[in-house]
Amino acid sequence: MAPKIEYYCPCLAESPHPPPPHLPSSSYSFHPLHNLFFCEECDAVRCNRCVLLEVSGYYCPNCLFEVPSASVRAEKNRCARNCFMCPNCRNTLTVVPSDPPDNGDMRTSAVVTTALGEPPFFLYCNHCRWDSAEVDITFEKPTGLAAQLQKFEDSAPESLEFERLKEHFEPFLRASSSSALPSATPAHHVHANPITAAASSALARDIPGVGKYNPLARSRIGRDKHAHRHELPDYKARVEIASAAALSGEADVEFLKHLESIEEVASLEQRWTNSWATSLRESDLKPLRIPLQSKKSKRCPSCRHILIKPEQKAQSVRFKIKLVAANYLPAIAVTLPHAQAALEMMKRSSTLGKSTSAAAAAEEQQAAGALIPGHSYPFHLAFTNPLYDPIQIRLAKAVPQGEIVDAEKARRSTFHIQLPSAAFPVAAYAEAWEYDDDEEDMFGLDDDGMEVDARGKKSKDGRGKSRSVGIVERRANVTVVSGEVLIPKDARGEVKFNMLVSYTYRSDDPETVDDAEAGTPSRSQATSRAPEMKNFSFYTVVDLGTIAHREETRLSVEP
Amino acid sequence: MDLPIYYSRAEYIETDTGNKVSRRATISGPQNIILGGKTIIASGAIIRGDLRRTGPGHAVVISLGRYCLIGEGCVMRPPYKTYRGNFNYYPMKIGDHVHIGANSIVEAATIGNHVEIGKNCIIGKFTIIKDCAKIADNTVIPPNTVVPALALFAGSPGRFVEDLPESTPEMVEAQTKQYYTRFQPLPTER
Repeated sequence: MAPKIEYYCPCLAESPHPPPPHLPSSSYSFHPLHNLFFCEECDAVRCNRCVLLEVSGYYCPNCLFEVPSASVRAEKNRCARNCFMCPNCRNTLTVVPSDPPDNGDMRTSAVVTTALGEPPFFLYCNHCRWDSAEVDITFEKPTGLAAQLQKFEDSAPESLEFERLKEHFEPFLRASSSSALPSATPAHHVHANPITAAASSALARDIPGVGKYNPLARSRIGRDKHAHRHELPDYKARVEIASAAALSGEADVEFLKHLESIEEVASLEQRWTNSWATSLRESDLKPLRIPLQSKKSKRCPSCRHILIKPEQKAQSVRFKIKLVAANYLPAIAVTLPHAQAALEMMKRSSTLGKSTSAAAAAEEQQAAGALIPGHSYPFHLAFTNPLYDPIQIRLAKAVPQGEIVDAEKARRSTFHIQLPSAAFPVAAYAEAWEYDDDEEDMFGLDDDGMEVDARGKKSKDGRGKSRSVGIVERRANVTVVSGEVLIPKDARGEVKFNMLVSYTYRSDDPETVDDAEAGTPSRSQATSRAPEMKNFSFYTVVDLGTIAHREETRLSVEP
Repeated sequence: MDLPIYYSRAEYIETDTGNKVSRRATISGPQNIILGGKTIIASGAIIRGDLRRTGPGHAVVISLGRYCLIGEGCVMRPPYKTYRGNFNYYPMKIGDHVHIGANSIVEAATIGNHVEIGKNCIIGKFTIIKDCAKIADNTVIPPNTVVPALALFAGSPGRFVEDLPESTPEMVEAQTKQYYTRFQPLPTER
């Protein structure tokens, strides 16, 4: 198990400090760096949980047709072209012609076959060999199939009933829209699920009167509904509930009595997307029109600035606006040198012809990286600076604040972490380094940096490279520092700790300083005027792996 | 930071454009295969450039972009079908920064840029994989499937699982470039 690091987004907590990392719930607050966004206005990290989603376009994932939002509703959020999903296995179905009439002579019939083939056409699954002829769905021509099928869907009693229900409630919704709308406008709740946010904004747009999801305002809306209920005439269902019940019931019992294999019953997942009164039989499943997918733009939850804005084209992977955290925060990579060394040894021995089975090799790998109680291990943190300015980084082990400290003290102190206490520099990012790695002093090292470097070297000389706590390596825009973890004899559990990373960066212009798109500042500019320094800190969780048990200790020592 | 991946110098042929092709890979019909440069073809891979379209003239069967990796034991085979009664092979086009894990079988028609395909996958005939998509390990993509951009597919049959982060292109690009630099001849043989 490789050590890993994740970044903290404070959206789930009231305080800016992260939860203790050994709580299982804390994993929801930590994200890999590349999943995070950065709002320049708020100067804060945002994650997929807290951003506001807006649908910027719909497309079919199979034919990649971009569906105009006007027709999305009419087509019931599904592709209205030739895209179908197999009701059995959810694979996409292909339209195939019937076999040409067999006149005994294979060769001539093959030549005669045209591109269109012979009607009737049916849908065929390449994966599970289901075909629509099984359920008596065939087509006279191979185009516009979805439109033909949607006619059936729309004329189904359930969907007709639903249409009538909508019609019935429309006057009510329109009347209540005036009273409900003001309650919809207050600031969006920070903890709202992005899915509810997207759904509620879509609902608010499509159906007048449905306010945006707002947990605080809910009670008030409820009261409003009560006030209006009296004005509504009673709804009379067209479908008799008795007939709907008769549809299942005894017939189902009869069917289940004569069941020969479990596959004859359609699974819940297969019936899920249909209405509530579908048949149990697997043989009754109908092809499904493929649900559309959407491209989404993302906004900062507090200032509403756009963080992600996709290009119009559905399959383009470029974005008009893309403020991802990876362009602002230094990327950190964690490694355990002792595990790497062990891996290296194993690779050498395996290339030399010592053949081990894959499973054994994997086991060995795990043993090699094990954290054995009673030992101390160095770990390396590699910081990569994405900014066009050099930065100074300071690390601190974050102590959980508040009353939980004492209760958790015993568990937390199962291991001791030592981090470099002095600030260390990471050079600026420059495109040139993509090509040339060894021009180390291109930007001129800060004197501060030299000092720390010397310190790092000193400790290297004194205690041996692997034992040092300090800078290990500096190259291009990467600085590797080393920390140390001491595991007491009776320790167990995971070595996981919160780390506060704060960095200062030079800013000549506070407006654009952290903009990664800004040009590289020239050297003269940097030296002539006293640079204004800005500070930014963020929390991370470092997971070094699990402490090995005693039994495993033996194993890993012996080979 | 990451450890180099060593190979024995004798096993790989390096071309002028930086492609590294294992001598233990089976490359049929090399005249019909284009490698974009800095592409690695690992040992045991089979690339069927010989399955070309019938008809006269030169035909490109399989084209690969830059910084690709064809993992160990992969099979790359152009898709075929019988159209209007004629059996024919169709070309396979693969973009830049595409990694294909070990022991996967690929019969796709098009694979975009920055695509990751896991180990032990089967990519069916005429599959179209758009940019920055990812296929998880042990996935079976049935024939004629379309994998949209920035989608993760997994399972058998392969189904949409989730959207990938917006920074996927940069990440995959960095990863594939790093892989190429890590892929070095064993220093003891220098």
